[in-house]
Amino acid sequence: MTAYVIRRLWQMIPTIAGVILLIFFLFNWVGGDPAQVLAGKISNPEQIANIRKQLGVDQPYWYQLWVFVQQVFTFDFGRSWSTNEEVSRILLTRVGPTLTIMIPVLIIETSLAVLFAIMVAYVRGSLTDRGIMITCTVAMSVSFLVYIIVFQWLFGFILGWFPVQGWSESFWKNLTTYAPLPIMLAVFVGLAPQLRLYRSFFLDEINQDYVRTARAKGLSEKKVMLKHVLRNALIPILTNIGISLPGIFVGSFLLEVFFSIPGLGREIITAVNRSDFPVIKAVTVYLAVITMIINLLVDVMYKYVDPRVSFK
Amino acid sequence: MSAMTPPELILQVQNLDVRFRVDRKSEPFAAVKGISFDIPTNTTVALVGESGSGKSVSAMAILGLLPENALVSREGRILYGGRDLLKASMYELQDIRGKDISVIFQEPMTSLNPVFPVGEQIAEVLRLHMNMDGRQARARVIELLNEVGIPNPQLRVNSYPHEMSGGQQQRVMIAMAIACEPKLLIADEPTTALDVTIQKQILDLIASLQLKHRMSVLFITHDLGVVGDIADTVVVMQSGEIKEQGPVKAIFEAPQHPYTKALLACRPRLDRRPKRLPVIDDFMKGDGHVHLEERKRGTTPSDPIILEVKGLNKTFYLKEGLFGKRAVPAVKDVSFTLPKGKTLGLVGESGSGKTTVGLTLMRLHDATSGEVLFEGRDLLSLSEKQMMAYRRRIQIIFQNPYASLNPRMTVGQILVEPMKIHSIGKDEGERVGMAFQLLRRVGLSEQSFYKYPHEFSGGQRQRIAIARCLTMKPDVLICDESVSALDVSVQAQVLNLLQDLQDEYGLSYIFISHDLAVVKYISDKVMVMNEGVIVEMADSDEIYRHPREEYTRKLLSSIPKGYELAAQPS
Amino acid sequence: MSAVLTNPALPPVRESPGLWSLAWRRLRQDAVGMVSLVVVAIFIAMMAGSYFGLIAKDWNKEKGVSYANPSFLAGSENLEARSMGAKDAAAKAPPVDLSDVDPLAPRYKEWEERAAKIAVTETKRSEVLPFGGDKWGRDVLQKAIKGSEVSIFVGLSAALLATLIGTMLGAAAGYWGGWANDLLEWVYNVFTSIPYILLILAFAAVAATSGKFGKGILPIVLILSLTGWTGIYRLMRAEYIKHSNREYVKAAQAIGASNWSRMFGHILPNVSHVSLVQLSQHVVGFIKAEVILSFLGFGVPVDMVSWGTMLAEAQNELVIGKWWQLFAAGASMAILVTAFSLLTDSLRDALDPKLK
Repeated sequence: MTAYVIRRLWQMIPTIAGVILLIFFLFNWVGGDPAQVLAGKISNPEQIANIRKQLGVDQPYWYQLWVFVQQVFTFDFGRSWSTNEEVSRILLTRVGPTLTIMIPVLIIETSLAVLFAIMVAYVRGSLTDRGIMITCTVAMSVSFLVYIIVFQWLFGFILGWFPVQGWSESFWKNLTTYAPLPIMLAVFVGLAPQLRLYRSFFLDEINQDYVRTARAKGLSEKKVMLKHVLRNALIPILTNIGISLPGIFVGSFLLEVFFSIPGLGREIITAVNRSDFPVIKAVTVYLAVITMIINLLVDVMYKYVDPRVSFK
Repeated sequence: MSAMTPPELILQVQNLDVRFRVDRKSEPFAAVKGISFDIPTNTTVALVGESGSGKSVSAMAILGLLPENALVSREGRILYGGRDLLKASMYELQDIRGKDISVIFQEPMTSLNPVFPVGEQIAEVLRLHMNMDGRQARARVIELLNEVGIPNPQLRVNSYPHEMSGGQQQRVMIAMAIACEPKLLIADEPTTALDVTIQKQILDLIASLQLKHRMSVLFITHDLGVVGDIADTVVVMQSGEIKEQGPVKAIFEAPQHPYTKALLACRPRLDRRPKRLPVIDDFMKGDGHVHLEERKRGTTPSDPIILEVKGLNKTFYLKEGLFGKRAVPAVKDVSFTLPKGKTLGLVGESGSGKTTVGLTLMRLHDATSGEVLFEGRDLLSLSEKQMMAYRRRIQIIFQNPYASLNPRMTVGQILVEPMKIHSIGKDEGERVGMAFQLLRRVGLSEQSFYKYPHEFSGGQRQRIAIARCLTMKPDVLICDESVSALDVSVQAQVLNLLQDLQDEYGLSYIFISHDLAVVKYISDKVMVMNEGVIVEMADSDEIYRHPREEYTRKLLSSIPKGYELAAQPS
Repeated sequence: MSAVLTNPALPPVRESPGLWSLAWRRLRQDAVGMVSLVVVAIFIAMMAGSYFGLIAKDWNKEKGVSYANPSFLAGSENLEARSMGAKDAAAKAPPVDLSDVDPLAPRYKEWEERAAKIAVTETKRSEVLPFGGDKWGRDVLQKAIKGSEVSIFVGLSAALLATLIGTMLGAAAGYWGGWANDLLEWVYNVFTSIPYILLILAFAAVAATSGKFGKGILPIVLILSLTGWTGIYRLMRAEYIKHSNREYVKAAQAIGASNWSRMFGHILPNVSHVSLVQLSQHVVGFIKAEVILSFLGFGVPVDMVSWGTMLAEAQNELVIGKWWQLFAAGASMAILVTAFSLLTDSLRDALDPKLK
């Protein structure tokens, strides 16, 4: 197994190199002249040249690449072009609020989706099944934006159950007052696609030969679903969770924007709006690394979930 | 009529009728059309038929294991223990399943749950029906594994299905099925997916268990040879109906129905080699006379050689360890000659390398080393461009008729394509004409030209594949398990066609198969392979009469002898 | 062999159905599928009409009063309009009489008379619009129609481009294997190790500042397709690997068919139905993505309208009770996406490869 992990870590290197190259290519080459953008309306050539020098974009490309690589490995991306805050500090402080929202969302949404998917798979083909599927399809076709606007208006403004926006310093206050509405919203909207997906996993398993054997042994339909089918369906379900794990760091940026939550997602949006390249570059590279590590962890965990998997 | 079953019968099937809903508009497909048969106690009943006969459906109906779109007529009855199983509630059925009546299926790999150890899967049925606790169940499981012949049962209890071979998996299935001492064991083609030597072991196991536990066995199969070995009673089905049923002796010695006679006769036999294999039509439409004239086969040293293979090697490399590769030699130093106009049979079990030899000759695999001499030139050393000239001279017919024709091309396109590539025929019109001719030659209508492969049966698709090869007028034809996936009656037709073509065009064949009887029938010379090497090579009559090597003898002894097959000269 | 050839051009006794005609037949039987198809067709017709200026041409004209009521709510109060009207009126009247110090004062009358001679059409702003008006009095219904043109166009073209890229790359990786596969897998890994939204935003940031992505809706089409090809690539690569090992491809190799012929003549017709379903799914995904991007300001340029920009405006309108823009944008999008999604499902069922 250690051989496997080492091999995977080794294989990550070209990918990380690729990500660095891609980001560099995008931002330093295609990205245009940031000095122009930052100088704004004051297009005094001296000032632009000065800004250029400060940012280091007047150097040849290979030098810029070298600087970038150094930055990645020393965790120092300099300062934000707009707020002048240290980029590393920005990233660390913003992750907390994002995770405060996204981890509960992940847990609640997955549990509910699995529960409902089993129930729907049990009654597959019936009118209930078809009705729920159509409802999911329609629910998925309404834009997330509409849900946020309506929910905020309904629950915050009209009913006053939750504050419309805001965030505080205290973790507990956040969790109980400011987070519930966004969490509820995210779960509500995310449930439909997850339900459809998990239902398809269950239905794929139900058609397998081993299910027929289980029935032939005299097991009740319920036992067949909950013991045999569920255990096998967990494999694609866990794969799916593994794929969505890296996404929780970006969080739902829309929620953060609408609810004024100082999370990583909103930070990225702001950075994009202001062409704050250092922030965007840093977030992208680090999230790529985190994604690769999460993938590795998920693959290693696979061995305990699917006995057919062997590490060579 | 009372629902009580006479004591000497364990199960009675009466007027069973099963249809399948295909879609909303069409008529449901009638799979089983009102059949009746009985299963006596302590007896093995063989339910025999070709694909589409409805045998599996009938067996699955007993325990209510049919797919969701099945429609079972309420007129039929399946009587067991004083109840009609077709009208029983789900609870009643679940109580019987696994305890009184159990099932083993054809594909043991997929029939076992991949994520649970085999011990747990067997224990499940003990805990469910016999109320055993964990420890008792585990002890009994080890006993059972021992009984079905799994070595090291204490260790194997914790193994996962994928860690076992096909034969062992099937033994586990059997252990699961007999765990609660059922009165009836339904075996749905349990040996079809296994190698012939393993098949024999499993058949012996089932037979011994049947005697020991005094249970009845309903054995479903398409292979009459197997039936002869193990059955007491035989039920013959075709297209959802029972054509004949009776004691095995009667069926084999004095078959009444033309279909039964045909089924018995069209299998190639080890002791005879008629010039033409009888086919179903001979019996159903003709007068039932069988060709008696035999064909002599063999080779002489003075036969001209068309293909010579020297020292052929093929090794596959698999990734292993941190950076390493593991070498898997599939073909080791194989050499042989193919006489012109004759058939070389290549026999072996799965993993013997026989298919790899065929593919490597065609350069569909790259050989690791060796020479393939055709008309003096080494085909393996040619460039792709040079090879093109020889491609049409050596052709191949694959095993799976459902996969070897492009589903999106019409038969016409399939036939014309090779002609276009090799510039055969001066224009489209001439090519189409040649395609029509070939279709007629292989016994298909000209209208087939416009149809898609899915509109044809397995045997018909193989004919199309043969026709495709013939468009290029090859010299050598490699038949890679070309008839293995076909029903016995269809197999006979295709073998007859192949023989006719060889007689007419002087084709030379390399016939690859695991079926020893078929190989003996069609080959002049036979080559036996095991684990990549040639074990023995001799003229076909010689090798079957006086096998020299141990492995060859083992192979030959695994062939189900069957009952004394009838085909008496009339 | 006989030399007598029958007439080669024998016409088929009955048309033998291939995959597509069989699928069409099955789709026709699917009520939900047919209804979705009709709805999608209507939207596409609307899109064409809007593109050629037949409808919604003057969505940008401020025809109505501010927050004009929809016609079904004609009579209700419109405080905003009244306050705007009052402001306008106040703007027209001179604040203070400066005629004694104003050097231009004597000339005003002359100018007024001259101005009056030039015909100036002052459109009277209407109190009521079919589906209401936005803050500037623009017709919401026309905006919704025009917005659908943009969204559908972006969705379709981005999906087509992404499918093209994904299929080409997937075919190359799956069929050739070897170093081509290794290279493409590396590219795939690089792209997928960055969370999807982040990748889009990164591209969007660069597109905004550099202008190198083109103008108008080209940037957003490029952004979506250059980031969205990965799913299709994965699928097509798996399909090509599966089919390359199938016997009909080996048979094609055995008869001497070239690599090109095998990849595109043989395999592609067998996997194109997978491509089609993917395309359809991506249209839906890209429409939803475009709406969100336009909402954030990274999508369509400011002189165009999209459902996303409508929703951006609607954000603040709900609290003052003006709900029609939110409803128009939300509902029209919901109808199109639902129809497209149901159509995709029906397509997949109709093309079910169990046909073989």
